[in-house]
Amino acid sequence: MVNKLLVIFLVVAFLFTACAKKKAPAGDNVFKVAMLTSGPVNDGGWNAAAYQGLLDIGEKLGFETSYTENVAVADIEAGYIDYASQGYDLIIGHGFEFGDPAVRVGERYPDTKFVAIESNAHSDNVASYRMACKEAGYLMGVLAAEMSTTGKLGIIGGVEQPSIVQVLEAYKIGAKSVNPDIIVYDVYVGTFTDVAKGKEATMAMIDKGADVLSHCANQAGTGAIKAAEEKGLFATGDSYDQNFLAPNTILSSTIYNVPALVLAAATHVKNGTFKGEIIELGTSDGCIDIAPYHELDTKIPEEVKTKIENLKKQIIDGSLVVPSVETRTI
Amino acid sequence: MAEAGTVLYYIVTLFAASIRMAVPLTLAGLGESFSERSGVLNIGLEGIMLSGAFFSFMAAYITQSIIVGVIFGCFGGLLISMIHAYMSFKCYVDQVIVGIALNFFSLGLTSFLFMAYFGRTTTVPQCPVVKPIRIPLLSDIPIVGDVLFNQDIFVYFMIFACFVSYIILYKTVWGTNIDAIGEHPKAADTVGLNVKKTRYITAIINGCLGGLGGAYLTLALLGFFMENITSGKGFIALVVVILGRRHPFGVLFAALLVGAAEALQYRLQTLGSGLPSQVFIMLPYVVTVIVLLFSIGKSNDPAALGISYKRSSR
Repeated sequence: MVNKLLVIFLVVAFLFTACAKKKAPAGDNVFKVAMLTSGPVNDGGWNAAAYQGLLDIGEKLGFETSYTENVAVADIEAGYIDYASQGYDLIIGHGFEFGDPAVRVGERYPDTKFVAIESNAHSDNVASYRMACKEAGYLMGVLAAEMSTTGKLGIIGGVEQPSIVQVLEAYKIGAKSVNPDIIVYDVYVGTFTDVAKGKEATMAMIDKGADVLSHCANQAGTGAIKAAEEKGLFATGDSYDQNFLAPNTILSSTIYNVPALVLAAATHVKNGTFKGEIIELGTSDGCIDIAPYHELDTKIPEEVKTKIENLKKQIIDGSLVVPSVETRTI
Repeated sequence: MAEAGTVLYYIVTLFAASIRMAVPLTLAGLGESFSERSGVLNIGLEGIMLSGAFFSFMAAYITQSIIVGVIFGCFGGLLISMIHAYMSFKCYVDQVIVGIALNFFSLGLTSFLFMAYFGRTTTVPQCPVVKPIRIPLLSDIPIVGDVLFNQDIFVYFMIFACFVSYIILYKTVWGTNIDAIGEHPKAADTVGLNVKKTRYITAIINGCLGGLGGAYLTLALLGFFMENITSGKGFIALVVVILGRRHPFGVLFAALLVGAAEALQYRLQTLGSGLPSQVFIMLPYVVTVIVLLFSIGKSNDPAALGISYKRSSR
């Protein structure tokens, strides 16, 4: 008898708390932003940049933020539904693969706004915010080609998908603009997380004579930098200033200013200018940049630095348009 | 590529890369061979390696000493393998299920402890790494010498461990006892062999070697730790054990084969054939499946593999 009463009491109590919880979001007006990332947010790369952006939203705009890391492709929809059902106003999926699931989940939650970073999916309440990463990739290609003595470069990509291929292809175009005969080895390791594979793929390119190594492979790319450091060669970083990883190895890094991008998305949703389309922001919007040269400043010739600076200006004023190639070329 | 010298250079660098990739697989595979020969199937190898990688990194990072790192790498692997041993020998839980649970446990535990210690940083903490040891005279052999005799301590240890394992498993009474226990624990128990003790010892060997395999990633290959740094290498090591038929040198060659396939696919990609990258990424797995296909019908699994032994049961 006592047991039965206890069970009834617990069920009733549970119902009350469930009701209470449902009412809460309607009352407060705090704008709630959630983020899903494909890997750990302390990967020192792509996901770390996203996390920084989310922190900025919390600090600068006073929004309530939350995140889920290590979201596998199969779990993306569940991740979206989780936050949408909790009444989040904006859910950001950090990566190309987060686009299509957002459209599917978006149909079920028309009041929630979804933003997929670096994707190409869109619907009424789903937008893809892209950075013109290729612009920084192009500049890295130019820098790497200028610094190479063997005339061979190597770059590893994570997974062969349009957002990554674009950067690698722009890198090749940049390198070829310096030296039409340059050889650029490109390897897709098929993972964004396996550091050991990233390093081994880079070693393969070093064995073939590449002397400036680059990457666009998040966590796996850290392996590329490690390989270059071990062999005493130059490397370029990706996503944000990775110089701290290997100060005497990293010439410069591409900077994808995810905070600025995410902030733009959050602001658009807040003031009602959100549109369900593909929005691309680039160097001219302050979303793309390249990192300072740090310790290696003296090792890079003045004319190379001036050249890079000029190219950057041309990209900003629109006189140089980096072509967008989304399929791998030989 | 017309020159013979260049071709030779490619082969040698490919071989060096294969060895680098094979070390963690071989070490973990050797440990698992001991365990499986005594009838204990430990699917938690991935967890053992990850734990080994984490604890070796933490110890090396804090003390700046590689030796301490290696010791704690063994300890980390041991931690997971001892939980597996306790659960399956004492509580008679299904070994496969404990193993799977431990893989997730290890991933959660290491990620949590790593985050708890370093916080949500965007930087990557680094630890010292082992330097290659050049063996005098032998390393002076042109081309080949540099590959085989200018490696880090883990590579030499791997070869040493293969020989020692071979001697233990095939040339000692205790090695035969392990096989007996794996084939028929009840019979072994009846003639006075201590089933539990032997299985605990093989679990200790499994934990130490698996932990070392993980430690190789942090202390030799990379010099830092990241969440899920093993990325499934423990599962590949399980395949290597089956491919190598739990024979120490079989495991070594299987690991080298998988390593070579992996190293080869990166080199093939750089040739620029125009094939999609996914075709190359599949290569190591295709090779594994083909080799498994060829070994159909020659199974030599211990008869009591994966079955918990209860003395009082019929």
